[in-house]
Amino acid sequence: MTVGQTVLWGAVLVSAVLQLSVVTWNRELLQVWQKADAERQALAQEYSRLVLEKSTLTAHGRIDALARKRLGMQEPEHTQVFH
Amino acid sequence: MSTQEQPQTEGIQRWRFTLVLAVFALLLVVVGGRLVMLHTVEQPFLFEQGEKRTVRSEVQPATRGMITDRFGEPLAVSTPVTTLWVNPQQVDVNALSDVARMLGLNSAELKRRVSRAARQGRSFYFIKRQVQPELAERVLSKKVAGLYADNDYRRYYPAAEVTSHTLGLVNIDGQGQEGLELAFDDYLSGSEGSRQVVKDLYGNVIKQLGVKAVAEPGHNLQLTLDLRLQYLAYRELKAVVQSHKATAGSAVMLDAKTGEVLALVSQPSYNPNNRAELNPTSMRNRAIADLVEPGSTMKPFTVAAAMESGRYDANTIVDTAPGWIRVKNKAIRDHRNYGDLDLTGIITKSSNVGVSKLAQDLGPESIWTFFNHAGLGRPGTLGFPGEAVGAMPYPEQMDDLRLSTVSYGYGLSVSPLQLAEAYTSFTDGCRKPVSLLLSQVGQQPCEPVMSEDTAKQVLKMLGTVVGPKGTGQRAAVEGYQVGGKTGTAHKVGRSGYEDSEYTAVFAGVAPLSDPDLVLVVIVDEPQGKEYYGGEVAAPVFSRVMEQALRLRQVIPDAPAQDSWLQVAGGAR
Repeated sequence: MTVGQTVLWGAVLVSAVLQLSVVTWNRELLQVWQKADAERQALAQEYSRLVLEKSTLTAHGRIDALARKRLGMQEPEHTQVFH
Repeated sequence: MSTQEQPQTEGIQRWRFTLVLAVFALLLVVVGGRLVMLHTVEQPFLFEQGEKRTVRSEVQPATRGMITDRFGEPLAVSTPVTTLWVNPQQVDVNALSDVARMLGLNSAELKRRVSRAARQGRSFYFIKRQVQPELAERVLSKKVAGLYADNDYRRYYPAAEVTSHTLGLVNIDGQGQEGLELAFDDYLSGSEGSRQVVKDLYGNVIKQLGVKAVAEPGHNLQLTLDLRLQYLAYRELKAVVQSHKATAGSAVMLDAKTGEVLALVSQPSYNPNNRAELNPTSMRNRAIADLVEPGSTMKPFTVAAAMESGRYDANTIVDTAPGWIRVKNKAIRDHRNYGDLDLTGIITKSSNVGVSKLAQDLGPESIWTFFNHAGLGRPGTLGFPGEAVGAMPYPEQMDDLRLSTVSYGYGLSVSPLQLAEAYTSFTDGCRKPVSLLLSQVGQQPCEPVMSEDTAKQVLKMLGTVVGPKGTGQRAAVEGYQVGGKTGTAHKVGRSGYEDSEYTAVFAGVAPLSDPDLVLVVIVDEPQGKEYYGGEVAAPVFSRVMEQALRLRQVIPDAPAQDSWLQVAGGAR
């Protein structure tokens, strides 16, 4: 075996091992990305739920009814006598 | 060990050895042959089957964009939900009773349907669509074989019936069906993503093979509506429609300086979040799609046209005695004989005879041109589905009678939105095209209708309508100078105008010193003793305007009254 052949064999072996490790690395990163993406989706879901909850709770009709019924509030008149 | 011990077996040994070797060699050939077969002849089939078992094509649904009001308050939001389905071939029907109970479905019914689907050889059956994610999670934790879940989106409208006509709604597949959801469907919906992945036994992605399309979320749509004013207008309109047992009603509020639509409400309304109770009558966006005869609310335009001709000013006297005139075969009447009225008085008293005389003097050409500039009889510009096109007779179609009726608002039709748009021209003489999207505000130039001076004088006249002698006193707002015009139009029935069915209209502007808001209120077929625009629509105008001006922090412009001091003294 000449020197050239030995070097070539060595290079083949090294690249083979490197390829395996790169594939493994790629899969690990994919897992990380998958998790992050799932988290992003979960957060987006929660965000839209919260937006919805907030706007439902602060709906003008609801606030109006609560203020009038539970808190006994009323709209001020221009001139009003307080008792 | 020596060879002499078994000399006789040597021949047999060799034969056996060869046989075993041959058998092994044959096996090798068979295995090799099979290998070659698998790698060449059967390769495409096997490859495909392998792909089928590991490679999944995944669709990533795109979120539909939000619709918000001008301050970013959400009006339509898509929220993730779960769709539950079964493969009837894989599922044990008896295991479904638990699932049915948790989802509130009829267990026996569900079982029957799933078994029928199984008999028909189907491998897909919806259990329930758009389930809350938490509930779906609990159902899935039962680990029923053959039960699957897909991610989906559902549209919610937080303001529900208050905004339903303007926003419209989407169907269960998330496609716009009505209103803005339909008009801007493409803009809102975005595009789905799809990719090919390799999945392991547990459903984890271990390799991404290719991305066909990246999911792009839909765009958000920001409207010019102000949810506070929208709610206000809705509440008051609903109250008046109920108290007068009217069949319908609508209200439009515009920014007087820009034409932005601040509130757009219709009655009857519906809750877009509850699809089960939809009916077409309540889904009609009356503020945009309905045409009404504007009645007396057109008179300010006739008077403005007269003043623009240069032959009249606010103090020109018109003789309206004896309270009626005959045009062709029809008598046009006032409520009573008002005698000599100046132009202001014609508006204050809403004299049909007065405006008829003005129109006869001006002629059909100039009336038509003026009304056309004010936007009457033109198609709408919002691009809204079902937007009504007003009707306005051409000059050559107007004989003396038609001309007279047009001058006081009969024989032409407008949508409430168009009427409000026309009234923006009294702000500074220029009609502002309406806009419903914040991004479109001010894109269309305003159209000059009359001089600024005429507009100012007409505003003053409109103020007298709300004053002590006018027909619209109940539209007054304390602390502000407001102006407007009442209108009461007979509804058109099967045999011409109906005697006892009316449309009550009030169109007005506030505050007069520096107009900020235009509001049009229309109540359709009010029942009972009160049916005049000044009795039904004007009070709504007053209530909505008062609170809207306060919310927009408009400075009161009414001259200070000493009533303040009196009350303060009286209260001690």
